[in-house]
Amino acid sequence: MFGYYLDMAWRSLKRTPVLTGLMVLAIGLGIGASMTMLTVLHVMTDDPMPGRSAQLYTPHLDPLPLNHKQGGDSPDASANLTWPDAMALLQSHRATRQAAMAGGTLLVHPAQPGQQPFYVDGRYTTADFFTMFGVPFQRGGGWRATDDAASAHVVVLAASLARKLFGSADAVGRMVQLGDNDYRVLGVVDDWAPKPMFYADATAKHYSDADLFFLPLSVAVDKDLQLNGNQSSWSKEALGKHSGSMSWLQFWMQLDTSAQVSAYRQYLVDYSAQQKALGRFQRPPTNAKLYTLMGWLAHQNLVPNDVRLQLWLALGFLFVCMLNIVALLLAKFLRRGGEISVRRALGARQRDIFVQLGIESALIGMAGGALGVLIAQLGLWSIRQRPDDYAHLAQMDGAMLLGTLALAVVASVLAGLLPAWRACRVAPALQLKTM
Amino acid sequence: MSIRILFSSLRRNSLMPSLVLLQVALACAILCNVLFLAWQQMEPMLAPSGVDGNDLILVDGLDAPDRAWTAAEVQAGTDALRTVPGVRAASAALGLPMVVSFVNMRAFRGPTGAAVGVNVYEGYDLLDTLGLQLVSGRNFLPGEYRDLNSEQGKGVPEPVIITQSLARQLFGDASPLGQVLHSPEETKGPGSVVVGVVRHLLRNRMNVATDGRADDTVLTPERVATSPWLAYAVRVDPAMREAALRGVRKAIESQFDSLLPVGSKPKAESYAARRDKVFKSRRATLELFAGVALTVVIVTVIGIMGLTGFWVQKRTRQIGIRRALGARRIDILRYFLAENALIVGIGVVLGMTLAYFGNAWLMRYYELPRLPWTWLPLGALLMLLLGQLAVLSPALRAARVPPVVATRSV
Repeated sequence: MFGYYLDMAWRSLKRTPVLTGLMVLAIGLGIGASMTMLTVLHVMTDDPMPGRSAQLYTPHLDPLPLNHKQGGDSPDASANLTWPDAMALLQSHRATRQAAMAGGTLLVHPAQPGQQPFYVDGRYTTADFFTMFGVPFQRGGGWRATDDAASAHVVVLAASLARKLFGSADAVGRMVQLGDNDYRVLGVVDDWAPKPMFYADATAKHYSDADLFFLPLSVAVDKDLQLNGNQSSWSKEALGKHSGSMSWLQFWMQLDTSAQVSAYRQYLVDYSAQQKALGRFQRPPTNAKLYTLMGWLAHQNLVPNDVRLQLWLALGFLFVCMLNIVALLLAKFLRRGGEISVRRALGARQRDIFVQLGIESALIGMAGGALGVLIAQLGLWSIRQRPDDYAHLAQMDGAMLLGTLALAVVASVLAGLLPAWRACRVAPALQLKTM
Repeated sequence: MSIRILFSSLRRNSLMPSLVLLQVALACAILCNVLFLAWQQMEPMLAPSGVDGNDLILVDGLDAPDRAWTAAEVQAGTDALRTVPGVRAASAALGLPMVVSFVNMRAFRGPTGAAVGVNVYEGYDLLDTLGLQLVSGRNFLPGEYRDLNSEQGKGVPEPVIITQSLARQLFGDASPLGQVLHSPEETKGPGSVVVGVVRHLLRNRMNVATDGRADDTVLTPERVATSPWLAYAVRVDPAMREAALRGVRKAIESQFDSLLPVGSKPKAESYAARRDKVFKSRRATLELFAGVALTVVIVTVIGIMGLTGFWVQKRTRQIGIRRALGARRIDILRYFLAENALIVGIGVVLGMTLAYFGNAWLMRYYELPRLPWTWLPLGALLMLLLGQLAVLSPALRAARVPPVVATRSV
């Protein structure tokens, strides 16, 4: 029966090519527009560390004085940690792995004569960073906790930077000058940039930045290397990286069990209470929080408002298109009262008519979905031309492709429900009499 | 023909019209919001800059984070630029139109009680170099200039030149010349005295250059000194634009390259190129909104045409009867146009409500400006026109139905 209905649907659609074309166009446009925006939202809110993100947490303390006023435009001063707090958490070793970090920009002086010095972005961090985030090494490895303690002048390079500096030769063991100091290359990592770059602070371009070098944090503090993130301070006392009233560090840790998580939560509150007793903190210790990776991303709200707004617009537009198809299908089906009556008179049940018309709507949905995929590709292409930092990510993966087709078919079948229901209720006798 | 007949005919067969109505309502709501958002993007692009931009070159990227430019270094730069062939004037400045890397904000409160946040452009003789149009008052006197970040001129009201729009906001209809302005927090102290008014001067904080705030800009008489930031505005001879741009780049390079930190790249570009870059993202967004608006319009027109076409076909016999009873073609045409206007009219009323509440709902979650009610009738009018346009072809087809159809048994 299915094949027969399909054949009938095909014949019926061929009879009214213009109307069919309009319906396919309408659903294609609606689906294309909404899938473009859904895809953008999908890539922007994707898990940057699949498989690991569930174990990754970031702590949040509130060391701000009671009278601290948050400026409307200025970044949240308590989003990052101060040096003393980060070091206290690091040295407590309460998580399976933990690392403090901050972004920096340094001038690279290539060893080869003739090459101009250039700036690169990278990260100052501690030893656990590489194992905790599973950074893939091409050669060599990361540094040890003893290197952190000794402020050893060692560096890990990203493959693209290593290639730029040393060509195809092995970079491990070589020296590289960053800023005013020389560092020994310990390892080379594959170009690795989680999207979004969840561990960077709020100033980073989370969708386009990548770290090209990794240096021990202790070196950055010793040599007072340049930072590129937010440095918010809330007191007039001498500033500097060691200051207890300037926040500039990010902190991530791996907690494997829920017992560990709740213990750490308690530890953060206890630590805050202790700092409050010492007079360093002024706000309630319960302000201390522990975010999961995805929770932190939601808290930071990286997806720009205009992307969400455009998604709403696109979905509203899809709804307009669906209404359009409801109307057009209604017109199409009701026009066929005679044909339906003949089938009913010959023994077809209302249900059969309903299924037949439903298949016809689904066929339109399939065609509309195919068109929608094309339009969505066009839409994504136009988004990739935009100057935003997430633009280059706007690509459709297999799941989204299937989702597009499914959405198109579901939308058109839904749109076909009312017209099919109305059409299958025609009174055959009355129709046949006037034929 | 009375509207009652229209209504009763619609009531009898209400599914089709209600679908059109719903579609029109949604399309109207989307259109109102999209047009408003597009306007928000367009406003800074349409605002007159007040600057004579054809022969203007802007230089920035002269940032020395580890040190501060001294007055002598800044002056040496200005002098070097002035000797470039084709250059008519050069001014060192902090804050320039279309230079968004450095934004200087201040607030003033005027006698009208309105506190206005403004962008400040500090620099030497910017009025002439930018080619601004003075409408009243005067330019700064040579003796009025002070070194930035110095004690010069302390205790004396600082002369400022404001824009016409700012004068209206701060002083209403009163003459602004000679009036003293204070910052909202510090009502005591010498404050600033208005010495001149220019017709327009576009601010450089673009995201607030909307709702009549594009011209909230102030000029102050300052010589750039002891500042880690620095920019230049250069006016060139129209006949020598290209050569002057090359010369300016060379002069900046020879003057500043040895002083700048390694790897920094000063930018010298024409005003037009700057404007293009600043508005790039806006243009992209605008194209998107235009695309959305256009497709909504197309889809709605398709829907109305398809439905009305079907409806005309269904009522062919009725039309024939009316024609046989003496209705003229124009009557039939008018009937369908009126019917469409009625349905779309109800639709847009619904749509305007929807637009208003949709905007209010979106405002709760996103930083959106409130949709001014004046936009609602605009969207409504557009929908009504579209509705009439869409119904024209089916209505003409209906008008061509011959009276003889009524006598045939269908």
